[in-house]
Amino acid sequence: MSDAHPDPLAPTPAHQRENPEPHEQEKFPSLLLLFLCSVLIFASAIYLQRYSGGFDPLVYNEEVQGRGSAAGAAAAVVDPIAAGKRLFVNNCVTCHQANGQGLAGVYPPLAGSDWVNASEEALVRILIHGMSGPAVVNGATYNGAMPAFGPLGSNWKDDKIAHVLTYIRQEWGNKGAPVLPETVARIRASTADRNKAWTAPELAEFHPGQ
Amino acid sequence: MSSANPSLAASLKPGTSEATAERALLSEIDVSTRRPVFFFLCAAIGWLLVGTVFALIASFKLHNPAFLGQAEWLTFGNIRTAHLNSVVYGWATNAAFAVAIWLMARLSRTQLRHLGILDVAGFFWNLGVAIGLAGILRGDSTSIEWLEFPAYATPLLFVAYALIGIWAIIAFRFRQPGHVYVSQWYLLAALFWFPWLYSIAQLMLVFAPVRGAVQPLVNWWFAHNVLGLWFTPIGLAAIYYFLPKVLGKPIHSYYLSALGFWSLALFYNWAGVHHLIGGPLPAWVLSAGIVASLLMVIPVVTTGINHHLTMLGSFGRLQDSPTLRFIVFGGVSYTLTSLIGSAMAVRSFNELAHFTHFTVAHAHHGLYAFFTMVVFGAIYYMMPRLTGREWPSAPLISVHFWFCAVGITIYVVGLKIGGLLQGWEMIATTADPQTGEVALRVPLFLDIVKHTLPYLVSRSLAGIMITIGHLAFAVHFAWMLLQPRAVAGAQPVRLSPDAALPASRA
Amino acid sequence: MNKGPLLFLGIFLTLAFSWTGIILTNHLTIGRIGTYVDADTGTAFPQAEPGLARQGKQVYQELGCIYCHTQQVRRPGFGADDLRGWGERQSVPRDYVQQDRLLLGTMRTGPDLMTVGSRPLNADWHYKHLLDPQLTSPGSNMPPFPFLFATRRIVGQPSPKAIQGLPPQYAPPPGHEVVPTHRAEALVAYLMSLKHEYDYPESIPVNVPGGH
Repeated sequence: MSDAHPDPLAPTPAHQRENPEPHEQEKFPSLLLLFLCSVLIFASAIYLQRYSGGFDPLVYNEEVQGRGSAAGAAAAVVDPIAAGKRLFVNNCVTCHQANGQGLAGVYPPLAGSDWVNASEEALVRILIHGMSGPAVVNGATYNGAMPAFGPLGSNWKDDKIAHVLTYIRQEWGNKGAPVLPETVARIRASTADRNKAWTAPELAEFHPGQ
Repeated sequence: MSSANPSLAASLKPGTSEATAERALLSEIDVSTRRPVFFFLCAAIGWLLVGTVFALIASFKLHNPAFLGQAEWLTFGNIRTAHLNSVVYGWATNAAFAVAIWLMARLSRTQLRHLGILDVAGFFWNLGVAIGLAGILRGDSTSIEWLEFPAYATPLLFVAYALIGIWAIIAFRFRQPGHVYVSQWYLLAALFWFPWLYSIAQLMLVFAPVRGAVQPLVNWWFAHNVLGLWFTPIGLAAIYYFLPKVLGKPIHSYYLSALGFWSLALFYNWAGVHHLIGGPLPAWVLSAGIVASLLMVIPVVTTGINHHLTMLGSFGRLQDSPTLRFIVFGGVSYTLTSLIGSAMAVRSFNELAHFTHFTVAHAHHGLYAFFTMVVFGAIYYMMPRLTGREWPSAPLISVHFWFCAVGITIYVVGLKIGGLLQGWEMIATTADPQTGEVALRVPLFLDIVKHTLPYLVSRSLAGIMITIGHLAFAVHFAWMLLQPRAVAGAQPVRLSPDAALPASRA
Repeated sequence: MNKGPLLFLGIFLTLAFSWTGIILTNHLTIGRIGTYVDADTGTAFPQAEPGLARQGKQVYQELGCIYCHTQQVRRPGFGADDLRGWGERQSVPRDYVQQDRLLLGTMRTGPDLMTVGSRPLNADWHYKHLLDPQLTSPGSNMPPFPFLFATRRIVGQPSPKAIQGLPPQYAPPPGHEVVPTHRAEALVAYLMSLKHEYDYPESIPVNVPGGH
């Protein structure tokens, strides 16, 4: 073959300098390696048995051994102020702010608020159905819309409403008494057919001085 | 030359050395695979460049969300998806086909038959990918991760794949009798597993969707197995071939190869469920996935030892051989990313790292630092043998290697740190010593976003480096094709011209 | 390992084993979970998505929201999803039985959205957030979606749907208003429909001694 026109089918220089095709030696693996593999398999089997939730399709928490034992577990004890604070931080600070001061002219304060420290009857109603229209808080007028947290809105149960109100009534120097879930349940039942937000005049009977 | 195409090997004189005869045979085999392999390589590199552009845009958007924010087709959700699908099904799968075909033919020690099948397959595959990507940018994504191509594109992929699978069975069936080398086990396994995974996933998620929470199980069984049962075996097959080939040494142990292969087949299959830890699924199946992910240490360590003991004593060769450099970088990355992956499945670590940028970094550690770098190494070896030309420029190879290696390292390290920070801030709590009240250390989500921004920026910088490396590679690839055919006795490109070249090299 | 058939058998069996164990078993168990009927009210939960929300889910998919937002709440004690206000309990398979396409997601570049409809974010907030996240969440890296909104001339009365309170750089020219397109309305309806509708018996958080 001439160098000027290399034969396209002939081995290329790359082929010419190749090593032979690869092959494997017959070395037997170290026994230490095999032993460590067995230990790993054994440990994995123990893990699987412990964290399988009884292989039950209705168990989603690996700490539970099976539904039988779950039924016997005690219900968690909840600190209402801690729970209420968490609810407040996640739901209320956007408007009422973390320091409870609200936004002047826009969102009313909760700290030292005459509404917060007065009867819980008004507060529970406001949480369940929301509030709209003008209201006077600590002498200043606000005209906004407070969303509902009952069935018209986020559909909070009685304990959540009670906890968040308990929290705000003792925070930032407020001196209101805790609110019980039973109170929320009673008020919810007595206002069951209400389907719109409250206005300040409607709540006047619970909030003297309006 | 004669049109009768005489077998070069058969025409050798009696008494020719075995080595020469083998080289002649390999040369014939390579000539026969030339057209389809070259097509798949060109397609792969084209998609690599496309996917890299999508990657840069997506990366910039994460720390600069208004960037190109006016057009719907460029929205992050579309661009990020287009990036993933173009690099997985465009670059990586075309490259996998090229490497698999080339290796299958060589390891079967027989000339390639039925080339037409592969040409048709290549056309349909890339047509499907192009239509699929256009569909994603149009907003037709299925929103099933790793299966986002709309239903009007996927049958093309299926047809293409079926043809390749059929070809592989024929090639294996008509192989020369003798020992089946480890690379071929991996290739056959990959070529068999992928179409089954893809068909089952399409059936159970797109064409006749299963109900409720079974969907994510199918989704992540599929998606993880694309990595573990398609790309990983092809990457390992490549390492098992090129490492001993370039070094001129045997693989350390056949038994380690066998143990590594079967333990991978058994455990990797179950590991995919680790994408769903903490999710709405029975605890037992998640624990099974965790266990499988931990047991993956067995094949990973076994294979790592096998490669390392093969390489021992020859690390000096990394100075001159481009193939070896990329392959070894890839092999080390494989071990590292797999061990980290096993750790990520442990529940307490998962609680921290799940849903964070750490996972994205891990995915790139595997698909880029391992698979892509290995394939780059394979391409540097294959091309001279396919085209009869030599790579013209050692500096361009160095630019390619260093920009990609350093780039992906910055990417992985930076984003993993950022991901860990993000994860820690998302779950960290303090307990009041007096009341026992538990509160978040970083209650505002926007603060977490702010803290991760520097790491997202570092990822973009790494991406720019990687892009430069890819451009160098693509330019070099094209330049090589413009070279005249190499004359007899031509030297290979060497990365360190001063290093003494051993008698056998590549 | 030189026998093709044996090799194929092993390769096939390993795949069949995982498919059977992971997918088939769950298809036959959690795949058969249906709705739960509340004894007091007789209502079945979860309920099917209302029509506009269903269209909004399509928009959610078209925009690729799953790549930054998850829809799966982890249990209290594993992560801090409950403390962040993302859900009081773990999401369970039954929460998803009415969905023809689950959108669990895998990244929390943004918050989890499984119960976003239970948070005090009204439609106006969502519209502003989608128009440009910087309006409601400065520093967010969520992309803006200006193409979900239309600026048009006011004809007759201003539309009740027009977005109010936009700062100067977003405010429409005089005589114009910014309104959400139908896609934006559907998307927001979808987001506001996302909630844990009911506490199923299997979902009630359990306090396990020694567990955290």
